[in-house]
Amino acid sequence: MYQGREWPYPSEIDQTETLTADVLVVGGGIAGCMAAIAAARRGQKVILVDKGAVKRSGAGGTGIDHWESAATNPCSRVTPEELHKAMMDDNDGYNNPISHYIECREGWDRLLDIEQMGGKIRDTEDEFKGAEFRDEETKLLFAYDYHARYTLRVWGTTFKPAMARELKRLGVRVLERVMVTSLLTKDGKHGSDCIGATGFHTRTGKFYIMRAKATIIATSRPARVWLFSAAYPGLCEFRPLQCIGDGHAMGWRIGAEFCMMEKSVRAQFSASGRSYPPYMAGNNHNTWYPATLIDATGREIPYVDRDGNILPDVRSRCYPAKGQRFFLKGGNVEEAKYEYLGPETLPWDKLKEMGYKLPFYADLTAMPEHERKAIWGLMVGQEGKTMVPVYQYLNNAGFDPTKHVIQCYGAGWTSAEFLPQERQLFGAPGGFMNDWYLMTNIPGLFAAGDALFSSNCYGHAAATGYYAGRHAARFAASRSLHDFDAHQLEQERERVYAPLLNKRGFGWKELNHAICKTMQNYCGELKEEGLLLAGAERLSHYEKDIVPYTSASNPHELMRLLEVHNILTVAQMILEACLVRKQDCPPLEFYRADSGGQAPKPFLVIRHDGEKTVCREVPLDFAGDVKENYERRNQDYIEEKEVG
Amino acid sequence: MVLRETKPAEPLAFDTDKCIGCNRCLEACQIDIMIPSEEKGSPPLVAFPDECWYCGACVMECPTGAISLQHPLMNQVRWAEKSSLTARSEA
Repeated sequence: MYQGREWPYPSEIDQTETLTADVLVVGGGIAGCMAAIAAARRGQKVILVDKGAVKRSGAGGTGIDHWESAATNPCSRVTPEELHKAMMDDNDGYNNPISHYIECREGWDRLLDIEQMGGKIRDTEDEFKGAEFRDEETKLLFAYDYHARYTLRVWGTTFKPAMARELKRLGVRVLERVMVTSLLTKDGKHGSDCIGATGFHTRTGKFYIMRAKATIIATSRPARVWLFSAAYPGLCEFRPLQCIGDGHAMGWRIGAEFCMMEKSVRAQFSASGRSYPPYMAGNNHNTWYPATLIDATGREIPYVDRDGNILPDVRSRCYPAKGQRFFLKGGNVEEAKYEYLGPETLPWDKLKEMGYKLPFYADLTAMPEHERKAIWGLMVGQEGKTMVPVYQYLNNAGFDPTKHVIQCYGAGWTSAEFLPQERQLFGAPGGFMNDWYLMTNIPGLFAAGDALFSSNCYGHAAATGYYAGRHAARFAASRSLHDFDAHQLEQERERVYAPLLNKRGFGWKELNHAICKTMQNYCGELKEEGLLLAGAERLSHYEKDIVPYTSASNPHELMRLLEVHNILTVAQMILEACLVRKQDCPPLEFYRADSGGQAPKPFLVIRHDGEKTVCREVPLDFAGDVKENYERRNQDYIEEKEVG
Repeated sequence: MVLRETKPAEPLAFDTDKCIGCNRCLEACQIDIMIPSEEKGSPPLVAFPDECWYCGACVMECPTGAISLQHPLMNQVRWAEKSSLTARSEA
């Protein structure tokens, strides 16, 4: 339709702008915004770069319905240490002990921050007055475990606009529609200090050089590594189209360390493929918990406690079992261990035996009014990408939650069954290895949110973002700016613009699909040395023989293509991570056909030294006593809070 | 007879009577799927409809309610009156 239409923006491909900052933040989602806010509040000159537009960008741009792990909120009956221990234990220790302690310890502080910026975290209009899940004094609303009260229901559509206003108020320079393409290192050397980044404007093509004393990677987890659809690339994954793990690729190229990159799970969300858009189909998980499910004849499906006792009413779906302190439930908890297992509906096999008929439906009609309104209107509505495409769309189509029921697909909340080789980085996937300051092994390079290994939700992103911002600010205050290496810069400029000079060549979709097919065939559910090596060889062929012949016709397409170049780097990194882990490791959902049956190794942290991949073993408890180690490094923050 | 591009989906529809051509939708889209219209005051062009994530930020930003967002047909879910299920089982 628009074939041959002139590109609407002026070309600035021959222009370069050089900017300087104390702290440079790459990515304007939740973590990036909070990082920039923290650094700016500490008097640092901050630049935040985002491919999108900060007001609604990132995975949480259009909202969030619940905030997990706010263990220090005034109504919580769980300590940060208890909750942290449960999160580690539930993953057999294959989890990020530092970032999740920060989440448990500071998540509530960030909610208060966001409230001050203008976000809504309380039921100030008394819409839910008298509800079982409301604290009447603070007007806070809770989700899942109404006794433990560490997860809050919030009005997350208000959050990103509030952060965008705060960035403006603090004088943060926000560069929107700019894709960061590489990290610059001291003297251009692999593995040396990070001294800034390069980027280009995705509408005009202008080149940016950003010099900084500290750089925070707040980009997403990788995506579209196994899953691709040329017709619906925007629906391939759970997170937004442009969130494909640019930071992972850029970090790998300069020698940053990564942890848990061998972990992938059978796909859970791909609305271009087998699943329905998240939260749209009937289900009783996450946003929809504790919805009633019924079968095709209207017969209610029982909820049971962890011992299989049938629960008598809706209320009891939200309380721990007898003798249980609290249960884990939320975005990333599929089925917790017995100790932390909450109420669930009976499993499908059992239901089949008992004569329940498919399809099932989510049925809010007979639920107590507060519970119905909490699911339909608060949770579905405030959760990202639900307000318009689910809540408003179905309401406009005549859906009435007091009369109608919504069909479920599959037996779980993912609303579909994927094939074993259809995989994605979901459920606390791999990412940058971090120390107690959330700094990587590259001096001056910090990571936050989904860029970190074993990341999960909104609260984790906000808490680690702010924490990284604080520590990057302190780091920057003791450093000076470095001159960039002219050779490193020119090489990158050449790499970035090369596809615009290729009038014909492979487009981004063709390359992305080739990578995904390779990963499905050579790096599916069951890994094997020979197949992994053959996969690596094939990816190397794409890198050497195909990438130089890729083509883009405008800066937008160039962005999409350079993203796919990054996906290729990430796929290569994943294969390297799979090659170094020789044994099965069930907590990482990692299985080798040629596994020798020995016990799984701990963390295998990998980096590229410029020529080859090197690996080191790191004990699962590398963070030590988290409370002690946190407090030792954050006395200023603790004192600041005490002063108020 | 004419040649026509077959689209797998059209995520956005603009009500041209309501649209004031302010391009706020375009500026709110993190994926940048729209480009400005050549005619001032007209709705933007959805240049990259396949890249849409269906988040609804454009609709949330529109000051006049001119945009509707709709998932592709394959993703439209089924819902029913509860009484129709129980009636079926009784019959």
